[in-house]
Amino acid sequence: MQKMNSQTWKKVWPYAAAIGTLLLIWQITAFFSPPYLLPGVPAVLERLGAGITEPEFLTSLKESLFRLVVGYPSACLLGGLLGLLAGLSRGFAVYLRSLIAILQSIPPITWIPFLIILFGFGNVPIITVIIIASFFPMALSVMNATEGINRTHLEVAKVLGATKGQLLRKVYLPETLPSFITGAQVAFGNAWRSLIASEMVGGASSGLGFSIKFAGEVAQMTDVLMYIVIIGLIAAFFDHVILEWLKRRMLKWRYIGGAK
Amino acid sequence: MIMQTLEIQKVHKSFGSLKVLEDVSLTIEKGKFAAIVGPSGCGKSTLLRMVAGLERPDEGTVQADGKTIDHPSPRRMMIFQEHALYPWLTVGENVEMGLELAGISKEERRNRAQKVLKTVGLEGFYHYYPSQLSGGMRQRVSIARALVMDPDVLLLDEPYGALDAMTRLTMQNELLKIWEGSGKTMLLITHDIDEALYLADRIFVMSARPGKLVRTIDLDLPRPRNRHGQRIGELRQEIMQLLGLEE
Ligand SMILES: Nc1ncnc2c1ncn2[C@@H]1O[C@H](COP(=O)(O)OP(=O)(O)O)[C@@H](O)[C@H]1O
Ligand SMILES: [Mg+2]
Repeated sequence: MQKMNSQTWKKVWPYAAAIGTLLLIWQITAFFSPPYLLPGVPAVLERLGAGITEPEFLTSLKESLFRLVVGYPSACLLGGLLGLLAGLSRGFAVYLRSLIAILQSIPPITWIPFLIILFGFGNVPIITVIIIASFFPMALSVMNATEGINRTHLEVAKVLGATKGQLLRKVYLPETLPSFITGAQVAFGNAWRSLIASEMVGGASSGLGFSIKFAGEVAQMTDVLMYIVIIGLIAAFFDHVILEWLKRRMLKWRYIGGAK
Repeated sequence: MIMQTLEIQKVHKSFGSLKVLEDVSLTIEKGKFAAIVGPSGCGKSTLLRMVAGLERPDEGTVQADGKTIDHPSPRRMMIFQEHALYPWLTVGENVEMGLELAGISKEERRNRAQKVLKTVGLEGFYHYYPSQLSGGMRQRVSIARALVMDPDVLLLDEPYGALDAMTRLTMQNELLKIWEGSGKTMLLITHDIDEALYLADRIFVMSARPGKLVRTIDLDLPRPRNRHGQRIGELRQEIMQLLGLEE
């Protein structure tokens, strides 16, 4: 038990130190600035405590999370499927790489005006941007894993009598699962950033991105900082708690003690 | 008349411009233990993969019981050089893979897996992951994975090549126990001449570039054999000369 705690601590302390440094710089800067320009850490945390129960904030949060839980899993599914197909077919892989190269050279947020004209304000343009921004890390990660699949693992299954479908389910999927998860983690960062950015540039008149932009327009510095903190906290929670938990559950075999 | 289970006739095989096998013919009678020895790169694995149905000859025929082998079959199990266990499956799940693919019920799978795990001395390791086992234990699991299918033919591609000398000797004895009285046809590839002499009824000696069969040696010595017996010593020298390892 003691040992586990010290191991957890070893992993956590650099992260804690990074957060501490940022807060320290903020607090020192705040010390030399007038409070309306840059409120200190305690002031913002106090505002945060009160703010998270306000209905305005809760609606905003709900709207953003809704777009995330629709857009992000769709992107993962689409990316995973495309990646798997590309891993199996060389021709499709070349095609997919070109498509991704083109899409990557256009910042995803650029699609917002185009999508608003096409679909109107609301969830559709934002969710579409989330998908454009986050399907490709997934696709690339899964494609590379599928291409690099262990040939002997496939041959063992063939000798054991596997059909094509069984090869896919029993060898390709489990063997590429770690890269699905890596892809999903990278994709999450993209999804979150493009969600907030889309809301800020006017994809919709609700959501965390919209709220922070609004607070900025009325020069509410405390609210702006509160939203920055919240946006960071939510991302960290998804990445380090939910996705990490999922990873440990699905890749149990990777975390079992090594060879004796 | 003796039924001839494996028959390779006038087989040629190239990969691009690389000629790997040239005019190889050999026969292995049903229930016999055969071994192929030869230098690295002489096409031993390629030949074995043809018998497994994973590769096709350019010319010539590869047959089992008079039927051309053109795809893998659970009747012929191959044990690979690297143990090739699935790291994401437990020992039990690895062993049951073939049965699961064949749609056999969970209960029967489990019973059969437990039984073969006992045969290879891994009772109680059902829930372990391969990463928790030693090299020798992993190779035992991969033998169990093949045995559970109750194949007629076992094809072994340098199964003990990566193991230390002592484990190797133990595993050879275990393999003999599995084979004796089972009626299975064994084809073992090895670069260990002593291993072939200790185990096989018939040894095929191959030479490299392109791979050719240079001699077929029949040994009808009783088992267990004396690894240092006189006849074995003479045959060892003969094989070493054929392979150019000794004048
Ligand atoms: N699929 C393949 N494509 C191209 N070359 C191959 C392939 N399989 C084997 N070879 C080549 O054929 C030769 C014989 O290989 P192999 O049968 O594995 O020899 P051995 O098992 O006797 O060491 C080697 O030179 C190897 O590189
Ligand atoms: Mg080989």
